[in-house]
Amino acid sequence: MQNRHTGTDRFVVSRDKEAVTHLSPGLFPAGRQSEWSAQNRTLIFSIHPLNNKTALAVGGKKTRESLGNDTLTFDQDQRVHICGISTESDSRLAFINDTHAVFVALQQLMEEADVDDSTASAVGIKGLVKMSVLYREAMQRQSRVLADIGDPNEFIKEEAETFQAMHAVWHLLEIIYLTTNTPGLSTSIVPHFMEWLNANFPAPLAEDAHRIAGGSPTADDLARNELLWPYLKKLALRGHVSVLGNMLERLAPSQLLSASAARWARSLSQLCRKMPLSSSEETAGSFNSRWRQWNEELRGHATAIGSLLGGAGEKDESAGGDKDKALETLFAISEVMRGDLDAIAAEGEIWQDIMGATLLYSEPTAQADRLPALVGAIIEQFEESAFTELDRALVALLNHDLAEFLVHCDHIDHWLSAHISDLMDHISVLDICRRVFVVDPREHYLMALGESYLGHEDLWRVGLDYLGLCRTVAGALVMEEYVTRIPLDSDRKAEQVLRVCEVYKLDCARDRIHRQLGRQKWQRGRLGAAIAHFAQVCDHDSIGLICDQIWNAYISSGELTYGPTIDGVMASSSLSEGSGSLLHHERLQFLSKYRDFHELYAAGDFVEAGKVLLSILLCEIAPAYALGDLLVDSIPLLEGDTLVFSSEDTFELMRVAESLAQAHMKQSQQDGAIDRSEMNIFNVACTRNLARSFVMF
Amino acid sequence: MSKLQVQPVARKVTAISWLPPRAGTAYTDTDLYFVTGSGAKHKELVLWTTPNPDFAQSEPDSTNDLATVVSKVPHNGDVQGIIALSPGLLATASSTGIISVYNVGTESGSMEFGESVTAHKFSNGEVAGATSLAVQPTGALDVEVASCGEDGRIAFTALSRLKESQGYDVDSTVITDLCWTTPTQLAITTRGGQIKIFDRRMPSEILAAFANSQSSQALESIAVHPSQPFRLATGTAGGSVLVWDIRDMRQPIIEELTVHEANVWQVRFDPADSTRVISCSEDASIAVTQWATEGRGAVALGVAPPERGVRRLSSMFNALSINCFDVCPSTRTHLLVAGSDSGNLLMEKTVNPDFKLF
Repeated sequence: MQNRHTGTDRFVVSRDKEAVTHLSPGLFPAGRQSEWSAQNRTLIFSIHPLNNKTALAVGGKKTRESLGNDTLTFDQDQRVHICGISTESDSRLAFINDTHAVFVALQQLMEEADVDDSTASAVGIKGLVKMSVLYREAMQRQSRVLADIGDPNEFIKEEAETFQAMHAVWHLLEIIYLTTNTPGLSTSIVPHFMEWLNANFPAPLAEDAHRIAGGSPTADDLARNELLWPYLKKLALRGHVSVLGNMLERLAPSQLLSASAARWARSLSQLCRKMPLSSSEETAGSFNSRWRQWNEELRGHATAIGSLLGGAGEKDESAGGDKDKALETLFAISEVMRGDLDAIAAEGEIWQDIMGATLLYSEPTAQADRLPALVGAIIEQFEESAFTELDRALVALLNHDLAEFLVHCDHIDHWLSAHISDLMDHISVLDICRRVFVVDPREHYLMALGESYLGHEDLWRVGLDYLGLCRTVAGALVMEEYVTRIPLDSDRKAEQVLRVCEVYKLDCARDRIHRQLGRQKWQRGRLGAAIAHFAQVCDHDSIGLICDQIWNAYISSGELTYGPTIDGVMASSSLSEGSGSLLHHERLQFLSKYRDFHELYAAGDFVEAGKVLLSILLCEIAPAYALGDLLVDSIPLLEGDTLVFSSEDTFELMRVAESLAQAHMKQSQQDGAIDRSEMNIFNVACTRNLARSFVMF
Repeated sequence: MSKLQVQPVARKVTAISWLPPRAGTAYTDTDLYFVTGSGAKHKELVLWTTPNPDFAQSEPDSTNDLATVVSKVPHNGDVQGIIALSPGLLATASSTGIISVYNVGTESGSMEFGESVTAHKFSNGEVAGATSLAVQPTGALDVEVASCGEDGRIAFTALSRLKESQGYDVDSTVITDLCWTTPTQLAITTRGGQIKIFDRRMPSEILAAFANSQSSQALESIAVHPSQPFRLATGTAGGSVLVWDIRDMRQPIIEELTVHEANVWQVRFDPADSTRVISCSEDASIAVTQWATEGRGAVALGVAPPERGVRRLSSMFNALSINCFDVCPSTRTHLLVAGSDSGNLLMEKTVNPDFKLF
């Protein structure tokens, strides 16, 4: 993805200042490195601090001879290209937001469960199953969205495959570790496994059924249909026994079948309906005895059909394949259903098929701990090099090899490895494989996922949540680094970033952001807001500098216009926890009191104004450079009709004047000194005021 | 906690507004229209339509979308505020300080950019985000829009003379929201925690300024009572909603409702029942709060408040900030739409038993 920007974007392109670069508008054609250097061309770039974008510009080095004396000036780059690989497609936005919400809810749920130990396991397993289903629903929704896109391109097809794979992995994990892992219940995994198999690897397809049944209204049509026989075998293999029973019953009256085939079809159909199903009310022993009985019956069928088939094969070789096919299929079906491993292996196309049929017909009461042995035997029959990442992940999961499982999950998708390691952590199975990894897998995968989201403008908050909810030191450290690099585009976004700092207790980052905001506001001339931000982090130096700037502006313009600024700050000062520190900032107090002095003076309340002025001088909150101006301000009060300063007050004024004069005498430079004549006027005014005060009091 | 219906829209929704009904079809529209503004990666305005629940033939199918897109138009900057001036005219405030006008045709399903003006700028020339805008409630043809921004200025822009926008520097921090209390008076809230009142005829002078002396927090949003111009509601950065009675300008009466855990981005008096305040927040919830029990009025600060109900609305599928909401003014069913940072449209429909048309 490449966006073209004219002029520079928000990145600063770093450049070599000595080798002055020049650029003419337009793109240079691509070329080899040698060609480029022959023409004094080069690429200059800067990597974005937060996301995986790079600002690129073509630079041409000027020869030293062609440079003038002003080597420090150079042409601005005409064009900067922002290049970046988008890791997160926008098509995933809804999915990411959905699952982020579930992730946050899951963490809260587990936290609540942790607090109350007595309900931990109960809340835990129930809640986890609910959350796991929510995750799967989100994956299914995304799969549907992807499937609805007409004319899908390669990317969409890949995404659709990825989501199907993610769902298959998640669903199997849910069955093994949550559904059949309820404490105190020894639940057979078989029905769940078959449900998983048929949901994630659908076969026989519903369309096949429609095509076969819909296109063949009579039994004869059905028997003629070429697709029927493999379909029937598939039904048996996937455990759709009631459908199989119905199909066989529909098929039986066909005239095209031999009498024996029709009889056995009927008989098998009845047997299909009799297949024992385990229920929670039944004891394992009673179920096993029913199962053995059924299995014996099937075995009898299989032997009978087998012998018939052997005899018929010799007799009716010339009669054509149809009748044989029917008997062969019935034989294969009964062999599969009686749990013959060879027959199952011969019929199954993928290892999941074989696994399912083996579990269903050979070990109907198997529990999750039986899976590793079974899967080991089955995948031996397959070429492992042809396995996809999904196959490998599923096999590793069935083998309870969780470390390898996680690695394969990560190959499927980062989202999967992050969320699955989180779920595994909550069901306390991650500890088993923790020592295999150098770093904590949950933390590692969650952080990787979070970081990949940070560069996306819409997902920075989601990414931060993933970093924050790692709940590890490393996560907090990385988050602290990232959070200060998030562009503070608007006031609201700044508030949101600060809120993140508050939620995750990133005090250091909070301080840095306040300083950053303070400097930003200062640059923009928003002095009040800048002071408010610096006050939050008690940055007295910066506040002092801003106050100096305000004072200087007043001195140079002669207009006291900073009132609203100070008011805004005073109002916002109590926002911060350390509000006292702001109000006690000398310089700010000085400005505030000085403003009060002016207001009182303008209102004609000279006595009060004098008091305020004197308090500024007595508290010594005024900076040294302002003392002279304050003394000059006192002259009209000293000379006024009403007596404002008492003799003590006048002595104080004179003391300040004297210390000021001494300080100036010590300094060789007199640049900051007040006018000598003004000082003289002040001295005279003081003397007269003193005399008056003696008379009056 | 009630649940909101959610529709993912894959873009951060930052502003939302119902379009007023067209003349003559009010209360009989079978389709209602609203406009959302989004920010961050997808900066655009989207016109949506949703069936009027008053005329629903049957229970809506949960698999159906809450609303469908009619048209989209790109927007310069994040949309920070939308005001529907009439069924065919919108004004928006942008994070680039621009006030824009858009023409909407609900029948033709079109939305087009009209014109715009940069109303907010920092003194160093950088663009300053506009934070909110409000239309002067005069009923005149040539309406004026007031906007506020991060530059601490309020700007007045007459729609017929867009380029002659006038700005006044009135605060040293950020102005977070504003509303017109009367056709000549407007109130702003600041990040400094103040409410300031201005007269349109003397816009550079502050008539009055209030702050909550109990706990001064930054104010994020403001709304005025539909019939009592002295009664204001504000949302704070700390998560509470304050209901102010400013009849006594020296000592306003404040009722504090602690309803959220984080910044209250928008607050409104419920148009169907103004004894309720609706607010949405960074904590991903909407709260409908009974601020005053019937006939008792606001309670003075410090006195134990009467029992009041807070109804919280949220959704499991929405973990991030709810930025904005709007209540449809012309339906019997209480129809509230909201937008969030999780890229969701949220909707709540409740049949209001008290609503009487005639």
